[in-house]
This record gives sequence, structure tokens and C-alpha cells, in this order.
Amino acid sequence: MSPASPKSAAAATATTAMDSLLRPLLAAYGPPGREAAVRAVLRRLMRGAGTWEEDATGNLHLHRAGEGPRLLLAAHMDAPGIIVTRLDGETGQARLSILGGRRPAELVGAPLRFEDGRAAIVSWDRKEGADPEMDQLLVETGVSRAAGRRATRANGSRPLDVGDVAAIDDRPARLGDYWCSANLDDRAGCAALVHALTRARRVRYDVHAVFTAQSDLGARGATTGTFGIDPEMAIVVDVAHLGEPKETSGFSLGKGPCVALKEQGFLAHPDMLERVRRAARAARVPLQYLIREGEGSDARAVRAARSGVPTAVLAIPARRTGGVGSLVHVSDLEQTAALIAAILQGGGGAAGERSKSRRNQPKARAGARQTKRGGRK
Amino acid sequence: MSARASRRARGAARGDSRGGAPAFREDLLESLSNAAGVSGDEHRVREIVAAAVRERVDTLQVDAMGSLVATLGLEGPGARNGNARMNGAPRKGRLPHVMLCAHMDEVGFMITAIEKEGRLRFRRAGGIDPRILVGQVFRVGGAGVRGVTGILPPHLVSHNEEEKVIAADDLYIDIGASSREDALRHVAIGDTAVFDTTYEAWGSVRKGKAFDDRAGCAVLASLVQERPPVPVTAVWSVQEEVGLRGATAAARRVAPDLAIVLEGTASGEMPGAGPEESAPRMGGGPTLTVHDRSLMADARLVDLLRRTAAERRIPTQWKRPGIGGTDAGKIALSGAGVPSAVVSVPCRYIHAPAAYLDVRDARRTVDLVWHALRAIGKEWSES
Repeated sequence: MSPASPKSAAAATATTAMDSLLRPLLAAYGPPGREAAVRAVLRRLMRGAGTWEEDATGNLHLHRAGEGPRLLLAAHMDAPGIIVTRLDGETGQARLSILGGRRPAELVGAPLRFEDGRAAIVSWDRKEGADPEMDQLLVETGVSRAAGRRATRANGSRPLDVGDVAAIDDRPARLGDYWCSANLDDRAGCAALVHALTRARRVRYDVHAVFTAQSDLGARGATTGTFGIDPEMAIVVDVAHLGEPKETSGFSLGKGPCVALKEQGFLAHPDMLERVRRAARAARVPLQYLIREGEGSDARAVRAARSGVPTAVLAIPARRTGGVGSLVHVSDLEQTAALIAAILQGGGGAAGERSKSRRNQPKARAGARQTKRGGRK
Repeated sequence: MSARASRRARGAARGDSRGGAPAFREDLLESLSNAAGVSGDEHRVREIVAAAVRERVDTLQVDAMGSLVATLGLEGPGARNGNARMNGAPRKGRLPHVMLCAHMDEVGFMITAIEKEGRLRFRRAGGIDPRILVGQVFRVGGAGVRGVTGILPPHLVSHNEEEKVIAADDLYIDIGASSREDALRHVAIGDTAVFDTTYEAWGSVRKGKAFDDRAGCAVLASLVQERPPVPVTAVWSVQEEVGLRGATAAARRVAPDLAIVLEGTASGEMPGAGPEESAPRMGGGPTLTVHDRSLMADARLVDLLRRTAAERRIPTQWKRPGIGGTDAGKIALSGAGVPSAVVSVPCRYIHAPAAYLDVRDARRTVDLVWHALRAIGKEWSES
């Protein structure tokens, strides 16, 4: 099968396929360190796709055995949330700390959902003229502590406590050609990865897909997950927002996935970059470039694991709405999935094709495929 | 010897209330608090711990960075290498290998230059509020020479100057030397200095310096006085206050299945602060971490600690989420990942000349961690 054909097939049918992946992924509760519900959704979406494992950090690891080098595919499961730091008197208000990369201003007014289903909303001690700081934010539960105690006596429900974690209570919406949601970073990447793995035939790698935990706290899941797998090459799939600090490349929505040249703690590996470019040409996926210095992805941990891993970053372009939401163009999701599928099928050059810089590393299983080419030249 | 024997006798008499947990060695807290051990210069602390545990542990080593590493009950096939597998849980039926860790170093000072007039310039090692540095007494170098951060007496200070806090960079330690040559007889550049504070006890209050983390060191040394119910590697780590360094190296080598870090942590009590803002409180019981800047504590392990505390009727409290960081952050991310938690003794005024703790909190921390180890032995090997 030529890598170009799935793409054209996708144009007709995949809107619904991608939507049906995204919907449950966006709806799943999964702040950093509390990703169990996202793991459950992924296991359900990819039932029978390979062998599953969970590790101590909370990563979900799918191994799809194959001939070829060990390829790590990573997308993070966690989305921003909050943790209760202090209960304020008897009023049912609490103070919070933000888990993950959100500015306090974006959270003002955001609906929250705790793991047990309890709802709350973020309010703030208003001060004129200044952006809110984190210590001005309040969790409004609407349930006084006395009422919470009565409920505990009546039905055994646990009262709100310091350390409770809440997610943004997301209302994902399909708006024309865009998806709008608070959890697109990086459930969009998870969906693209699932879609690519589901449709890629003749995969030319020993594929280890890791849906990472605690990425927004500093690529923590990627640190331990990559160590456990010890891959020979890696592709990180994430979301990049327009106008992030020191983002200089000027990409747009709807014009295809970005490949990162440089981000915080990461510089594209030349061989992996070339592999992505070739696969994009083969699959006729338009490619944009991402250069950002203030933000990064799991790639900074993946590329530094053990003695180093040649790594590429694919980023789905996104735009912030100003509140908790982001917008992602559906065609970028499709194209990202198509690009990953093309890479898996060898569209970036035969999987066994050895880069010069890795010549001294043993890669015995790769030899047989050295002359084959996937994709159209 | 007789002191220890009588302590044991008292321990035996109270054996029921502790349910088999070892007694807290307050004598160790005292000697550890009084010892000087700024980050990178922990050897005096290490010697005290080593002497206290040597007879009780199977192996005792100092690693390349200077951390003290003791093992108990680790012999036998497959007892190590928990981390070699992707999954953090041990094989069915095998007891999990638990790393317990407390850091030996304290925040303090390093002498960076000696001026012609004999004054010592210094830098801070670890997080110390510069506002507390003026007019303090210090012990400098291996010999513990006394010095003060002197300032002019009020007679000679204008009203304007009294309003200002002197920047740390403008301060110096005066050891009474008349010249650089005179000073060099007692002090060398690179020597460390600590607050000159002596341990004291009244009621259940204990006063001393460096309770962060000599409280944890003493709790850990107390725990290994008895054979723990699961295989344990106890690590007294170095250089925590300057970047969690000793534990980073030790965790990689120990490769445990689980980790519990023992700390002396900041209590929040201040005049005018409500009870919520004050948490955790000194005397309120062992303090558990959900999340700090370095760690999302393993939810199963935190739950196990809470249940254990409830069964033992030990009060616990939460550390304020989102602040601080401990060795647990590095241990959790070592190898393919280690489920980790932090149990702390709440202390007032840490990272300052003198801190307070309630010795009942330290006793309860020993009790809690001991029974948590027992529960880990039961639950983790079945999962």
C-alpha cells in the first residue's frame, strides 16, 4: 500500500474516525499525575493493538512487536488542572495551585471537575488593573464545610480536602473545521497517534507507543518511560500554540503539522528531521517549522535518556482562545496522523537505513530491510 | 550502654503502644542537630549516623558522592533490581525493596574570601532568607571557630540606615582576627560555617539548628534499630539543599521498588494566620506530601500511609501543595520510575538559626513509617 492512498481515503472518511477518537479522549479526566481515566480510554480505543503495560510514573505503554529498530512514539496524556492547597474557613472556598502550564488569568471562571465528579468553579480576588496571580485564585465549591460534614455523615461522601486534584471541566466542541477544547494539549497528539497506529500497515519498526504522564510538570513520564524502553529513535507528538513566548517561526493553523527545529532543551536530530521530511514528501503532507525557546515538549527528556536518543518532534498547530480553550484545525489532525503513518510504513526511508551518526551502534535486525523503500519517490 | 539498656526497657514497657515499632532515638537528634554539616561537608553527620546504625544493618557503605547507604534484609536472589522492569510493582510474592532516604546536609555558608583586615566574606549554601543574617553567631570550619556577622551598634547608626536591610553580599563574618594572616591560622577559603545553636529540650519542644533534615536522619536511624518487615535500603544523602544531588546518584544505584523520603518540613504558624494558613502545625502529627515542585507523590502510597495512620490512630496533616521540593522528586524519576512519597516532621523556623519541633511528631513519624512498611509488605507483594 502506498502511503499516499490512506491520506486520500482519510479525506473522505476520517473526519468521523478522528472525531470519534477525539471525543472520549477530550472528555477524559486527566490532570498531571491523575491520568487513569485517559489510560482507560486509550486501552479501549486500541483494544487488541498490542501488549499494554503501565509503569510507576503512570505512563501507558503499548508495544507492537515488529522487525526493525525500536521506535518510541510519545504523546502526553495529562492536561492542566489544579490542586487544593488550603481550605478557606467555613465558606466552601479553597485556595489552589495550578498543575501544568496555565496562566492564572486563563483559569478565572473556568469550571472544574474533581475525580469523584464534584463540580466547582475558579473565581478570584479581583484587583483592578493587574493580571490575577495564582494566590488570588479561589476554588468555589458552593458547599460550606458544615454542609460537607453533614453530607459525610449522611452518605459517607468524603469532604473536600487539601491535596484534592481537579481537572478543567471541558466542553469540547466541533466548530466548523476546528475542534475547541481545554484538553487538546495533548489529547490531540494522542488521537493522531492512535489514528496512525490503527491504520498503518506493514509497520517497519518495533513500535513502543508511550502515552506519557506528568508531562506538564516537567516531562516526568517521558523521563522514566524512555529509560524503561531504551529506544533507538523517537518521535514526540505534541501541540504547539501560536504566539508562545519566543516562538519565532510563525506557523498557521490548517497548513499541516509542524516539525520542531528547536524548542526548550531540544534541537532536532538531523537524521530524524530528514526522515520526517522524506515521509512528508512521500505522503504529500505539507510541513511547517516550529522554533520556540520558552516552551518545550517531552522531547527534552526523551532525547537525553540513557546515552541519548535521536528524536523528532511533530507538533499540531493550535491557537489559544484566551480562556482555557484551544483551537485545532481538523485537517492538521488528519495530516499529522497521515505523516506518522507514513513514517511507520517507512516513508521516511527504510526503517533499517542506518544513519551515519549511529553506525557504531548494533542494529542487527535492521539489515534485511536496508534496500527497501516505502512511499513514493 | 546503660543508657541504651534503660531506654530499651522503657521501650519494652511501651511496646504495646508502638506495636513493635522501634523507639525514636532522641539522643541522636541532639547530636545530629549540634553537628555541623553544610552541603558538601556532611562527614561529621555521617560519622554520627554510621556509629548509631553500624551494629544494626547488614551492609554499610559510603557512596562516591558521600551518601551513607545501609541495607537490611536485601540478601537472596532477585531481592534487588526492582527497577530493571518496566512495571514498578514487584513480582508476585516477592517483598518490595523500599528505599528510605533522609538528607544529612543543612543550609549554611561557605567562606569565599578573607580580606586584608581579617574579615571573612561568605556565600549562602541553600535557601536562607538574607534578612536573618545580621548579628548572628556562627561556627566556622572544622575547628568551629566562632564568628559574628557584626554591624555597627545603634549609637553609630543613623535613623535612615536603621530602616534598611543589609544585603547578604555586604555582610562579613568577624572571627576577631587582626589580619588575613591571623585569620588564616583558623580558617581556610572553602571552609563552611553554620549557625552556632545548641540543642535544648523543654516539655515536648525541642530547639536546635538543622532540623531540616536531621529530624529525618534521626527518624531513619531509629527505624533501622529493628529489623524492618520488608527489605530496606536506608540512604542518608548529601547535597539535597543545593539540588537534590546525593539522592539522584543513590537512587540510580539502589534501584528500589518504592521510596519514602523522611523530612523535617516547614510549619506555617504565624501571628494572625488562620488555622488553614498555618497548616501543617508543629505538634499536629506527621506531615504527608501530595504534590510539591519536584514530585506528584504516588497516590497508592499516600493512601496506604493515610490508612496506616488511621489504623494506628496517628494524626496526620497535609503539607501545603505546590511548594518546596525533596529528594523524592529525583528518586521518583530514577530509572524507569519509582513510586515515592514524603513523610515529614513539621518544624517551625527551618532554614534559620534555630528551629522548633515537637518530639511527639518525631515519635509518631517513626511509628507511622514502620507500620507503613509492614502494610507495604502485605499489599504491594499481592498486587
